[in-house]
Amino acid sequence: MDFSNLIEGLGGYTIDGLTKGSIYALVALGYTLVYGVLRLINFAHGEVFMVGAWTVLGVYTALGADSGVGVPLAIGITLLAGLVAATATAGTALVIERVAYKPLRDKNAPRLIVLITAIGCSMVLMELFGHAFKVWFPGAQFGRAAVNIPTIIPTQEAFSIGGVGVSNIDLIVIVAGVAMMIVLDQFVNKSRLGRGVRAVAQDPDTASLMGVNKDRIIVLVFVIGGVAAGLAALLHTLKYDFAKFDMGFLIGMKAFTAAVLGGIGNLRGALVGGLLLGICEVYSSAVISSNWEDVTAFVILVVVLMFRPTGILGESLGKARA
Amino acid sequence: MRRNTLFAGGALALAVALTASACGTVDTGGGGGADGECSLNIGVMGALSGANASIVLPSVNAAKMALAEYEAEDPECAVKLVEFDTEGDPAKAPGVATKMVQDESYIGVIGGAFSGETKATQPIFADGSLTMISQSATATELTVDEPSETFHRVVGHDLVQGTAIANYVAEVLEAEKVFVVDDQTAYGAPLGEKIREVLGDKVTESDKTQEKQTDFAATIGKIESAKPDAIVYAGYAAEAGPFLKQIRDAGLETPFIGGDGLYGVDFPKAAGDASEGAIVTCPCVPSEGTFAEDYEEMFGEAAGAYAGEGYDAMSIFLEGIKAGHTTREDMETYVDGYTGEGLTKNYSFDENGDVAAENVIVWSYKVEDGALVPDQEIEQ
Repeated sequence: MDFSNLIEGLGGYTIDGLTKGSIYALVALGYTLVYGVLRLINFAHGEVFMVGAWTVLGVYTALGADSGVGVPLAIGITLLAGLVAATATAGTALVIERVAYKPLRDKNAPRLIVLITAIGCSMVLMELFGHAFKVWFPGAQFGRAAVNIPTIIPTQEAFSIGGVGVSNIDLIVIVAGVAMMIVLDQFVNKSRLGRGVRAVAQDPDTASLMGVNKDRIIVLVFVIGGVAAGLAALLHTLKYDFAKFDMGFLIGMKAFTAAVLGGIGNLRGALVGGLLLGICEVYSSAVISSNWEDVTAFVILVVVLMFRPTGILGESLGKARA
Repeated sequence: MRRNTLFAGGALALAVALTASACGTVDTGGGGGADGECSLNIGVMGALSGANASIVLPSVNAAKMALAEYEAEDPECAVKLVEFDTEGDPAKAPGVATKMVQDESYIGVIGGAFSGETKATQPIFADGSLTMISQSATATELTVDEPSETFHRVVGHDLVQGTAIANYVAEVLEAEKVFVVDDQTAYGAPLGEKIREVLGDKVTESDKTQEKQTDFAATIGKIESAKPDAIVYAGYAAEAGPFLKQIRDAGLETPFIGGDGLYGVDFPKAAGDASEGAIVTCPCVPSEGTFAEDYEEMFGEAAGAYAGEGYDAMSIFLEGIKAGHTTREDMETYVDGYTGEGLTKNYSFDENGDVAAENVIVWSYKVEDGALVPDQEIEQ
């Protein structure tokens, strides 16, 4: 226990925690939206994120981009990578929905069965990148090892508040992460399609009677979750610069925790849960050591659920006010 | 209904394709050898596929080279090298070991390549009196704490390497303040402990990380306030890559040094440009001369980690067979009493199966242009 370390570096640790938390929050969104509408934990969502990270690497490789490119080009490449990654992850999420969930839903399969196909999908995706692609495309970098992604935007100090330096990367990740969450929250609460999402979450049968196409809403929900995961993957790449076949597992686990912590099915809950989890992890690493971060994360989850079984914000997607 | 059949057909085809590609890497290689009166097998087990295969395959290839040279001499006894893929998993290795023990034609085994699988299989091979020569399992406990009757290894153990890393940091880098990080695994924890013990007061602070960790902000925060002259990492490449990357991103140019867990292509691949200039130590001697040239010619790539050690392990067995030791008991006695000059060092095994400490050589390698280049031999 070394609290002096935490107090001395409090500002820096907080920034790091917020950066980490923003990424968790964006991934948590996919869990929370799907759960809100389908009452299903999409355990393959972490792997959707992983697909995003590999796509970013693919775009960089295809363009031959590396750390040497100038600022305007770097921004262009990053935006393009984000666009392609979001498309790829949305596509992946959609394929998972079509192949693994919809056929079962049409047959009214019990939710537990769908949960198992979700875990199956997650393994298939992992093995595709960890093994199959390596066999099918021998020259490519696929495989079990972590692969470095070139740094397009070099880390620099953007500004400092009271002696605490905030790097450009941290700034981009936090601002982009939070902005996307706000846009999405507004979309679900204000737009026509968003009203459909809330209606289906509240009562699917009545919603269809009122003319909401349930299947289209479900597709929409998977696409939004996928896009958020793809953008999270881009932000993760900017900050951590690597892709690995099993990277989605732990992030998925943490994002799921963040979603439950904030109140699963609640968009604002995902943001609150994600940021809180990120900060707690970094603080506990600073006070004790890094191997305690997971322990702390889950202890906090248990404690919060003991007193607030529905999570911090608790409310479900359907009940969110317009 | 028709659609369902089609779907099921598609799923089946996909499953078959996946299985087929999974089987694609399982490969029983080795030399053929004519069916003489005498026909023996030597097994080699380790992670031939999976995350850490890059530090195992070179030794298997080198063993094949030793076998090819043996066959060129037109020997009396036909020997086959049979590969067993354990994926480095201690849960998979015992099955493989039992298979070899039960087949009387096996006279020796090269491996295990990693410490965990080796520990899990030592009792099985000891019960079957099958001689093991490991090319790369370095955990101290394999010989020092719980020695096994039939186990030998042609590398030094982690404590020797820990001392070497500490010496390198203190003497070559001339560091006064050292920050030691270990990853809490069976490999990293004792290695880190040994480094701390040897460096003593020079360790200003230390931290522990864990496997699969990606964000090292807290550790880097501690490094920033400790301002060390060197950072030592006892762990594996998968975490060292992002860790080093984040250290450099934080603007720290402190020298970074790690053990043989970082040896191989995976570390520079995971860390990218940030790994330039990083130091990796390994109780493996750089492959040079005709061996390196022959290896490159035969396998189309430079001889990697533990290639020389794999060659030596195979050579010891083959010399035993040449000398007429064709039963398991004879072979065990022969290897126990073996003395000779190998490719990488002089061999004679102590009662626990370790190479004499004075013969163990630890080298440091430096990352240059994404590849590990031999730097220097570290003084013990």
